[in-house]
Amino acid sequence: MHKQEELLRVENIKKYFPIKGGVFGNKTVQYVKAVDGISFTVNQGETFGIVGESGCGKSTAGRTIMRMLEPTEGTVYFQGQDITKLANDDMRKLRKDIQIVFQDPFASLNPRMRVYKIIEEPLINFGVTDQAERHRRVLEVADQVGISQAQLKRLPHEFSGGQRQRIGIARALISKPKLIIADEPVSALDVSIQSQVLNLMKDLQKEFGLTYIFISHDLSVVKHFCDRIGVMYLGKMVEISAKDDLYDDPKHPYAKALLSALPKAHPLQEKERIMLTGDVPSPSNPPSGCTFHPRCPSCMDACKTVEPILQPIGQNHIVSCHLYTAEEAKSR
Amino acid sequence: MSRKLLEVDNLQVGISDDGVRTPIVNGISFQLNKGETLGIVGESGCGKSMTSLSLMGLLPPGVEWQDGDIHLHNLHFKDFKKKDWRKTRGKKLSMIFQEPMSSLNPVYPIGKQIIEMILNHEKISKKQARQRALQMLQLVGIPRPEQVLDEYPHQLSGGMRQRVMIAIALSCNPEILIADEPTTALDVTIQAQILELMKKLQVQMDMSIILITHDLGVVAEMCDRVIVMYAGEIIEESTIVELFDNPKHPYTKGLLESLPDINEQKEYLSSIPGMVPAPGDMPKGCRFAPRCSRVHDRCSQQPPLVTTESGSKVQCWLFED
Repeated sequence: MHKQEELLRVENIKKYFPIKGGVFGNKTVQYVKAVDGISFTVNQGETFGIVGESGCGKSTAGRTIMRMLEPTEGTVYFQGQDITKLANDDMRKLRKDIQIVFQDPFASLNPRMRVYKIIEEPLINFGVTDQAERHRRVLEVADQVGISQAQLKRLPHEFSGGQRQRIGIARALISKPKLIIADEPVSALDVSIQSQVLNLMKDLQKEFGLTYIFISHDLSVVKHFCDRIGVMYLGKMVEISAKDDLYDDPKHPYAKALLSALPKAHPLQEKERIMLTGDVPSPSNPPSGCTFHPRCPSCMDACKTVEPILQPIGQNHIVSCHLYTAEEAKSR
Repeated sequence: MSRKLLEVDNLQVGISDDGVRTPIVNGISFQLNKGETLGIVGESGCGKSMTSLSLMGLLPPGVEWQDGDIHLHNLHFKDFKKKDWRKTRGKKLSMIFQEPMSSLNPVYPIGKQIIEMILNHEKISKKQARQRALQMLQLVGIPRPEQVLDEYPHQLSGGMRQRVMIAIALSCNPEILIADEPTTALDVTIQAQILELMKKLQVQMDMSIILITHDLGVVAEMCDRVIVMYAGEIIEESTIVELFDNPKHPYTKGLLESLPDINEQKEYLSSIPGMVPAPGDMPKGCRFAPRCSRVHDRCSQQPPLVTTESGSKVQCWLFED
């Protein structure tokens, strides 16, 4: 079913946030390297997952890709077109094709706008002037996400979290996008509601051939929902792989630890834990060499000085770790 | 084998408007045994946090204790005055919360906050209290505890703050630790660390734990027995293995099935239709009936609490003979 056609290509994208200092607070003393050179491709119709812990830069990555934040460096190709060089006007038109769904359905909807207006607004922005046409589209999209006509007249506070997330999805969907970036869309929801929203997103993907970038910290949700997954740590992708490879045989020590930290699925399940010590270091002052080395159980000398790069380690599986470069060197 | 420590008897907590009582927790009863970890699970708004807050006498303004009692040894919490609560809290029962940043005081150093707790309950000198605080920080695995004593909460990471909260909660050797979503705000690798720490300290300090969470994975990890709450009522109570192997109530089943399973690939997750009813607008009879796939005529009446053969309890008509 998947056409292996490339929809999005991200090349070495970086986002640094300046930390201002000095006497007048106008000198840049340091940078927070929220996203520090990540590259990946997303194919038409697939779901690409980005996982990582808080502060790893996954949300910033999502926002930088669609230029809600201007990238410091790097390029993003959408359908072969370099969108990082587009003028603001052209970018605005292109946003019709790239939409985003946010985590917090309470903060991302304007509390004073009726739901009808919230869903309709993107159409106005994208220059659909025919009111009857807009009305038809709003009803259609509302129906697709399961919001009734009567509910369209209400205000966001009258809805529960799950329903608000449906409104957020409807708003993203109305411009008929090709790519939807979903930034933790179900993290704020209860499990029974979470599964409703995930099923809805899957239905919509089938119906409209949508491509998703699914950003989440929840490994089991990502496993369920995504086709390919990138694991982020401290602004970098440390492993990118098809999901089954990643979950059956994670390569990077961080990915291993992350997966082993998942709570048991059953109380009697035996689980070997790789306990990571310490916390994620600050992205303003990342460790030298491999940024994971201070917490890594299999840290070697090279890891402290030399930065590893992403290298293929089997089909559709790339990892950035010296353990595997060393192995390869040995076998040669 | 199991010695009863704490007993909650028909507890009803709710809001009152012009004499109209709207219960949030609707007459629940359960007991906690010595040394065990009891899980209370349920989705947002099911009353699990209100239950824990009533155990601590920390009900928010506007929410009142409407009926029932809680017993611990010879104490009856219902008759408690402010003074009694103050003696009990921290000494007999202690609590840690979801968000460690908002439960620590940002303008006092860590050490002062632990010492304050110790001096409240024990007649020892400040110096001894500081020594005890230092020991507590070591116990919960904080690196360089001497310095951390004089640092402020914002200087620590989320996981470290939760460790400090645990240190404060355990500094007076409570018999019961109530943990209200202790790891929800933390990343999985940090969550694993904190859960491990709680297990270790439970054995070391011989405590019982009441763990309140929405995360069934955490429950599987930690608990001996589980209570499942829905819309202010206990709908199922069983041992942990029984709950996962043989869930009884349709809600518990639905909840377990709607979890994505990491070992299994399904195209769609099963989900429970609809949503939790609001406290003022509860359906008559079984409160889960409008969302239940196995609803039948009798569900319009209050279902009985049935004890099944395996010893678990379930509030559902399906199990009545």
